Amino acid sequence: MLTEFGKIFAFMLIAIIFVVVTVFVSKLIRPSRPTKEKLMIYECGENPEGTPWVKFNIRFYVVALIFLIFDVEVVLLVPWTVVYQQYGLAGYFIGVIFLFFLGLGMAYEWKKGDLEWARPYPQSSKMKNSVQEVDASFQVTSEK
Amino acid sequence: MPLTYFFDSIPLLYPEIVISALIAIIVLADLITSKVEKVLPYISLIGLAVAFYFVTDNYNANAMAFLNDTGKGMVAVDSFGSFFKMIILISSFLVILFTILSKELHDSMDRIGEYYTLIFGMILGMFFMVSSTNLILLYLSIELVSLSSYVLAGFIKTSTRSAEASLKYLIFGAASTGIMLFGISIVYGLTGSVNLYEISYLFQVTAGNKFLLNLSMILMFAGIGYKISSVPFHFWTPDVYEGAPTTITAYLSVASKAAGFALLIRLIKTGFSVETSTLGAWVVLPSFYWQDFLVLLSILTMTLGNFAALWQSNIKRMLAYSSIAHAGYLLAALAVLSDQGLIAILIYFAIYMLMNLGAFLVVIIIRNKINSEELSDYDGLGYSMPLMGVSLGVFLISLTGLPPTAGFIGKLYIFLALLDAKMIVLSVIMVLNSVVSLYYYVRVLKHMFLNKPKEEVAHIKFPLAENIYASVLAVAVIFFGIYFAPVINWAKNSLSLFGF
Repeated sequence: MLTEFGKIFAFMLIAIIFVVVTVFVSKLIRPSRPTKEKLMIYECGENPEGTPWVKFNIRFYVVALIFLIFDVEVVLLVPWTVVYQQYGLAGYFIGVIFLFFLGLGMAYEWKKGDLEWARPYPQSSKMKNSVQEVDASFQVTSEK
Repeated sequence: MPLTYFFDSIPLLYPEIVISALIAIIVLADLITSKVEKVLPYISLIGLAVAFYFVTDNYNANAMAFLNDTGKGMVAVDSFGSFFKMIILISSFLVILFTILSKELHDSMDRIGEYYTLIFGMILGMFFMVSSTNLILLYLSIELVSLSSYVLAGFIKTSTRSAEASLKYLIFGAASTGIMLFGISIVYGLTGSVNLYEISYLFQVTAGNKFLLNLSMILMFAGIGYKISSVPFHFWTPDVYEGAPTTITAYLSVASKAAGFALLIRLIKTGFSVETSTLGAWVVLPSFYWQDFLVLLSILTMTLGNFAALWQSNIKRMLAYSSIAHAGYLLAALAVLSDQGLIAILIYFAIYMLMNLGAFLVVIIIRNKINSEELSDYDGLGYSMPLMGVSLGVFLISLTGLPPTAGFIGKLYIFLALLDAKMIVLSVIMVLNSVVSLYYYVRVLKHMFLNKPKEEVAHIKFPLAENIYASVLAVAVIFFGIYFAPVINWAKNSLSLFGF
């Protein structure tokens, strides 16, 4: 007799066997006539250009992180809106405190310029120092 | 669920509430004022003093916050937790004083608001680490501490070493806490509860699956061992301690290690010990061999830490390995599994905080002047800066554990606990390790006082504040080595965990 996990295992086994068999059988039956177009990477009908390993602007990640943080925080507000009336004024102020911290975070990132797309470059003097530091460390390692 | 569930707990959580309010105040101050570096240290210091007051207020409490239906809560407020909270607050206080001095952080002054916010984030996490009795809260608090410290370790953006430290710390931390979470999930699967008291009760009444229980404890130790930098989870320590800003290195080596130990002690005592015998020994459940496990880890940790420290040429790296070795000594004291061992741990932490922070303070001050942490650059510094040389000497001799410094008292009590429990082999290994450690600590002094510098160095003058901090800490280390009764009494009064 199969246990509950055993049923899942049987299901997975059938799924794997099904895929293997169909792929293998179709390889036996189908004709094979590769052309240049067929071997090309599929990119919505366009001809692919260059390498996919390009550097993305780090700002994408910052914006994505900010979105994620606020998204999750807003999701946490939903259960509160459903029940806060049962708890009177105290329940209301719990939400207010939460929203205060949310607003504080919002104000902070706004003031620090994380909502601007174009940010000024770091000051040149500091950059120069760090470049020199890196150069110096390379020299030390090459001397060794 | 009625709201009294929350409101009844609030008086017990005043320290945590003060710290959270401070985070908001610091962020607001950072937004409003333009001279943050002038204002924030003082706001932080006052806030820490207020939090300290509330911790002492709760010192004699023996209660739980956020009680559930069965009367078991999530946060224990007891004198054991309060002791560690005090250690954390005092070391935060000292680290913030050091931050004002540090030239290393000077280039990042426009972002210093973040620095203080993250430090307070760490404090909040560590408070919950020392007091949580719920596995989920325990995991969350470890993550809160870790996430703040990853950023702080890489705070100096223009330094590649700092960035490397941060990245290594993040990768190790993510892996270790992930493993720990897996262990927690197995414990939950075995017992159906995340509350330590309920888990303990279930382990007492049912035998359970022994293999899974052992596996889960070893997995959980991965997360804790990473926090206290015990072998085999110590690999991040030297790199992070070397690359991070020295103030943060000092902080990680004291506060976050203290919180990790408090967590481990609470896990063993509330999760596995049934009762305390009249002689002070803990009666531990036979389901996991805590004593053998801890003895093995402590021998490995102290031996590896001490022997690796012998070859270091960078003083921060050397102090990192030395802090691994000290984690080994503390694990040895914990392995006794008795109240004597616990007293020894508490005394050792109170003293370790003073001497380790002192050693890092002198490293910060010397770096401000000569811009280096390499031992070869320390040649002859004992004559050009006599006060700093002597203070560093006091701290290092205390770290070795020689009289008349406080470090001797700390080691003495660990030995007494070990001998009391007839663990002769472990105590012999510890003595031999201390002998090894003498070599690398004294080597720093040899560089400072005996080696001739390459060029003659003129007498170097320091600001008054730096002189005062270094000499006060050095005098305190010697003072508590001679008149140690207050430390002992403080530790003896802080033994009670909730429920014992």
